[in-house]
Amino acid sequence: MSNPLADMDKPDVIFCIGTNMTECHPVAATRLKKALARGAKMIVADPRKIGLAEIADVHLPIRVGSDVSLLLAMAHVIAREGLVNEEFVGARTAHGEDFLKHVEQYTPEWAAEICECDPADIEKAALLYGGADRGAIYYTVGITEHICGVDNVQSLCNLALMTGNLGREGTGVNPMRGQNNIQGAGDAGALPNNYPGFQKVTVPAHQEKFREAYGREVDLEIGMTKVTALDLCGDGIHAMIIDGENTLVTDPDRHHCEHALKSLDCLVVIDIFMTETAKVADVVFPATAWAETDGVCTNTERRVQRLRAAVPPPGEAKPDWWILSQLAQRMGWDGFDFGSAREVFNELCALSPIYAGLDWDRIDQGEYQWPVPEEGHPGTPRLHEERFENGRGIFKMLEYRDPEETISDEYPMWLTTGRRLPQYHTRTQTGRSDGIDYLLSEETLEVHPDDLARLGLEDGGWAEMSNPRGCLHVKVRATGKSPKGTVFASFAFEDVPVNVLTGGGYDPVTQTAALKACPVALKPVGQPPALGQVGSGIELGRS
Amino acid sequence: MPQATNDELLARWKNEPAPLLPLLHAFHQRDGYLSEDALRAIAKGLRIPIADLFGTVTFYHHFSRDEAGLDRPRVCTGPVCSMRGAEVLVASLRAAGHDPQPMPCPGRCDQPVPVIHGGTVLTGRTASTLVSGPSPLPPAPPGGIEECVFAGIRNPGRAGLAGYRNDGGYEALTRAVTGMTPGEVIDVIDASGLAGRGGAGFPTGRKWRAVADAPGGPKTIVSNADEGEPGCFKDRLLMDHDPHGMIEGMALAAYATGAVRGFIYLRYEYPETVDILEGAIAEAEAAGLLGDGILGTDFAFDLRVRRGAGAYICGEETSLLNSLEGKHPFPRNRPPFPVTHGYENLPTVVNNVETLASAPPILVHGAEWYRGLGRGDHAGTKVISLSGDIARPGNYEVPIGLPLAELLHDWAGGPPSGRTIQAVTMAGLSGGFLAGADLDVTLDEPSIRSKGSFLGAGGIMVFDDSRDMIRVTRESMEFFAEESCGKCFPCRIGTQRLVERLEGDGPDTVEAWVDEVTDLNQVMMKTSACGLGQAAPLLTESLIRYFPERVREHVAGPGGSHGPAMKG
Amino acid sequence: MMKRNGTPATNGARLTMTLDGEKVAFTRGETVYEVAERHRKEIPTLCYDPRLEPFGGCRLCVVELEGARNPVASCTTEAQPGMVVRTRSAALEVQRRILMEMVASENRDTDVDPMHGYASQEMADLLDRYDARSGRFEGAHSGTSRPDDDNPFIKRDYENCISCYRCVRVCAEQEGDYAISVMNRGFDTQITTEFGGLLKDSACTFCGQCIQTCPTGALGDLKALANREVPGETETTRTICPYCGVGCSVDVMTRGEKIVGVLPAMDGPANEGSLCVKGQFAFDFVHHPDRLSTPFVRDDDSGKLRPASWDEALDRAAGKLRKVVKEHGRRSVYGIASGRAPHEAAYMMQRFIRAGLGTNHIDNCSRA
Repeated sequence: MSNPLADMDKPDVIFCIGTNMTECHPVAATRLKKALARGAKMIVADPRKIGLAEIADVHLPIRVGSDVSLLLAMAHVIAREGLVNEEFVGARTAHGEDFLKHVEQYTPEWAAEICECDPADIEKAALLYGGADRGAIYYTVGITEHICGVDNVQSLCNLALMTGNLGREGTGVNPMRGQNNIQGAGDAGALPNNYPGFQKVTVPAHQEKFREAYGREVDLEIGMTKVTALDLCGDGIHAMIIDGENTLVTDPDRHHCEHALKSLDCLVVIDIFMTETAKVADVVFPATAWAETDGVCTNTERRVQRLRAAVPPPGEAKPDWWILSQLAQRMGWDGFDFGSAREVFNELCALSPIYAGLDWDRIDQGEYQWPVPEEGHPGTPRLHEERFENGRGIFKMLEYRDPEETISDEYPMWLTTGRRLPQYHTRTQTGRSDGIDYLLSEETLEVHPDDLARLGLEDGGWAEMSNPRGCLHVKVRATGKSPKGTVFASFAFEDVPVNVLTGGGYDPVTQTAALKACPVALKPVGQPPALGQVGSGIELGRS
Repeated sequence: MPQATNDELLARWKNEPAPLLPLLHAFHQRDGYLSEDALRAIAKGLRIPIADLFGTVTFYHHFSRDEAGLDRPRVCTGPVCSMRGAEVLVASLRAAGHDPQPMPCPGRCDQPVPVIHGGTVLTGRTASTLVSGPSPLPPAPPGGIEECVFAGIRNPGRAGLAGYRNDGGYEALTRAVTGMTPGEVIDVIDASGLAGRGGAGFPTGRKWRAVADAPGGPKTIVSNADEGEPGCFKDRLLMDHDPHGMIEGMALAAYATGAVRGFIYLRYEYPETVDILEGAIAEAEAAGLLGDGILGTDFAFDLRVRRGAGAYICGEETSLLNSLEGKHPFPRNRPPFPVTHGYENLPTVVNNVETLASAPPILVHGAEWYRGLGRGDHAGTKVISLSGDIARPGNYEVPIGLPLAELLHDWAGGPPSGRTIQAVTMAGLSGGFLAGADLDVTLDEPSIRSKGSFLGAGGIMVFDDSRDMIRVTRESMEFFAEESCGKCFPCRIGTQRLVERLEGDGPDTVEAWVDEVTDLNQVMMKTSACGLGQAAPLLTESLIRYFPERVREHVAGPGGSHGPAMKG
Repeated sequence: MMKRNGTPATNGARLTMTLDGEKVAFTRGETVYEVAERHRKEIPTLCYDPRLEPFGGCRLCVVELEGARNPVASCTTEAQPGMVVRTRSAALEVQRRILMEMVASENRDTDVDPMHGYASQEMADLLDRYDARSGRFEGAHSGTSRPDDDNPFIKRDYENCISCYRCVRVCAEQEGDYAISVMNRGFDTQITTEFGGLLKDSACTFCGQCIQTCPTGALGDLKALANREVPGETETTRTICPYCGVGCSVDVMTRGEKIVGVLPAMDGPANEGSLCVKGQFAFDFVHHPDRLSTPFVRDDDSGKLRPASWDEALDRAAGKLRKVVKEHGRRSVYGIASGRAPHEAAYMMQRFIRAGLGTNHIDNCSRA
């Protein structure tokens, strides 16, 4: 996030897009609700009538994957109505004039054809955000998990740049990170293009730094992404070490993943449960879990916080860092004899400019948000206050693109996927915690009541959902929460493995999978299928 | 006529100011109760959380949550009606096939026993003799003593615009908007010494000036017509027989303070008064006396009636504002006060009906005239609602400073023959009792406060020497326990504990009983959040003070709280 | 709730008031209670939660204010320049004792297991402080418990409710869920959902905030209470919730080697005491029998995974990896770090790939 969580009750206008925050980041959503109670206005763009939409002033039920068209039209209205922050655009951005010219063609009426919203609502949303003194944008993977994920994010940045809604309290472009330490995994350098602290691997100075630190030659080019690696399994990639991810279930196109992992000569998995992915491994290492592990994590607002062990792990389970350092030593490599998480973290701090002012002891109270460039620096709750890291904020001239796959006569419904409040991810943890199933014990496919009749489905009955990648059976629930033409299911339940179906392409820049828009066919099936009733003894999904 | 649908009712009210209460009444009226379906529709339409709406609806006495609940007759079981045979009436209604429900005092103490059935108030002693009719006019004052708010009320046709204008009505408003600055209007009210007649006694001119000076708007004038104090029925009389008097007073207040909108918050128990007020407002609007462009100027004042639903606490001005706004009617913490943070947190005048009705005559006749209506050094008049064991119950507009004895004996004919006055209440029930030598007071705050009580809204109930003061106190305390809103601990728990002790529970030695009751009294008076909890213990405090022997019999005597049988 | 008007401080002049005879400074908008708390006056209260708008219900925090006829509730009274306030006097202490005796008189229990929740001992502590277990003011009890609510998280034992409405207010003000409200009035007041139903059928999200703010144990954490017989002293360890990216601070309660519950950290920088259903209640997966407690290797004969020693498993993995490197080169090994494990795991994974193999073939699970 560009701005701290504490800013979330401060905007005048909140624009949430592609984020089901009340279910996926409930505690962050409470801050938005406080802003609303104070009188802030909220725009929610989401195909579904999610919890946020219920309390929004404007709900834009956009067709899945059409975000860019909406955002271009909002920019058009903001420009047309003279709501551009000329001072900010002049002082801190580049290509502003080109951008304003670029959006002249994208009227709300044009966008309405694509995103299937009322042009008047688009107009209203644009006037609200454009007229805000403090406008803040929040998004989650509803924005990024598309073939145009980068375009989506850049469209949001364009809006923030043209209205000057960056670098001040209660503003910003704020992605909400989905996992407890997904931010930290990037911070720590688990990326093919970056060393720890987002130092690009292609910059000679960085290469020199790590050459020296690690005492060996380094690759001068960026590595491949996980997506590419999975595509190349058995054909260039022959071994994988996977830590704490149930790749088989969470990645799109499950059949492809399964095939990939099985083609490896060596698969090493580190996890706390015997996941589907672990089951196909050659070696499985038992890791310590939350509350058994000392360590550090970074939250969505870049706050670096300590994890502390409260209980001993079961049996011989060990911390992930210990397992990997032991493995490295068995590989015969030097420099891996770490004695504690503290030593590991302090080495990371020493090598990462954004952590340069931190160490294990200094983060004890969790008061720092990176970058913390030197000792004594108070941290940076709000980014871009004085300047952008790379000088000027650059407007991008974007155009709308259709998803890789679009609905057809054969596959007439959009499937979109996501999470539900009580269950997290694939239920590895929540499914093994007493009581959670009381709130949600099975997955259902949310279908608009009008579609029900059209498709011959029954509320509470079963449907077969399919596309060329696969097929699954799911119980149907009629609800106005889904828009007509779009159905929704979460990926929490192992017996409704929606990622059998998803996988219609990747963002060309980030190679993030398009998990949010996928054409499917639906037809009624009489009997609940034998496979996969909850609690049938089939191993729960993980990750 | 076909019944309105949920959507039609919502469309009718949704965009009106203060829409919740009228919407609830509309559904209540349509269905005879507030169904789950109705509440869900309203919650959705007004975007109120359904749990909040449900909780708020249960707060009000008169919203029925079960089918046909509205149809059930509600019978007053207040202290005066209880003495006049409320129980007999309840039994007779039951025998006639009804399902009567008790209700707190609905302000008809001059005509016991009242029954509310649907939109009608009936009075009588048995099911077969119940009749409806207008509120009785006030008896004429002895010796032609000059009145202020009652001066024209007995004139035929006074309730209509023509009759009111015939008596010089709307002359004050005309003078003000065409010839005076708002500041000049406030100066006159200030100089008159007029103070809040709802009980709090805050100087009216100062209140208006505070609102006039307060930043922000739109500003609001609220007439507090939630006359919930048992034994008080003066505002009903004023509104029923002289609605334009109060309305003109509100328009004056609006002009003086710069307010553009107003509400009359009328208690549920005056159903007929709704039509009277709405009729009067329509007449005034048609005559250019309300609405836009009043009297050809650019002064505008939009006035609405909002009907309460049965909650004594809504007479407390901040509860009233919460109720108007559709919130749970707990009192607000003060400061800030309504003059700066009132309706919708904006500057607001909340005045009692009598206060507002006093303003037009004051403006016409002048501040000096009004001051001169009081006796001795006291300025102005006060309407006293007199009920109970007295020959001529009713409303009397007395000069402030009039001896109580003069009112009781000379004006109202004294106690029933052969009886003496054992005690009276003050401020309805809120002032507790005066008895014995302390009946020798004059009707003004300094005199009455010197006896540990206060005049308040001016309700006085009389109890002759046949009455069991333990029972009177218990029934009165039951009222406060029933009406305690539940926000603050001392009142919520204290009223309950006092009722129990008046029922005969609690310690069984007199010393321990008095000790507990005195501790409760003190803590309630000192720490309660609003006037209800601070005033309720005056009943038990004055009971112990004036009737120690009865207390001793009650605690230690045979039969405990039942005591010796007495008529009642 | 009333919003206070923030008036800017006058010319930066120091605002002062007199507190128990001492001149103290305050900032505009601070309440008398807040000023007194800063000076450790330990004013008693039961309806106060610093995260919520002051309510002024319990009246225990009343203080004497010079010029005021009655004591005033310090929680709802804004500090003003020149105010003279006494937080303790014989009269105040008597009033507070009587109030506590009254509070004690309306409940079935005055003492509850601390496992009920974060604030569950507040009433009991004040009863001790004011020696208020006298049994005076005995009478009817208030509140009707809801044993019919079969949810596995929140005990609804309203016979121990004192109508402070902290639960209702935390649900509305802190969570924005508005699942519960106040029904009826006076002594009949009852905490309720819409139409008196079960929490499951209401807007409740089972975040558990109501439990944690309840000062009497009328609301209780059923998952923690299920562990009340686990032997040992309860200890707490501050850590971060393992679920989404908000990074809520929690205090994990343990007895011996067992996690017995979770408390929200009121001073957690990201959450300031808030949690969701997962962070509050989904902690016991840690002790689930499915947990891996030993390494596994694929058996050469059966082709199935079987338990192995660390030595064997590490050797097996290293051997296989070396073989792949030998046959296909160091660029044929790929590392995927976890978005759920700590920094040290991710850092070590990238170090393994970069320092060990010298490639950049490392990623994490954020692309899925």
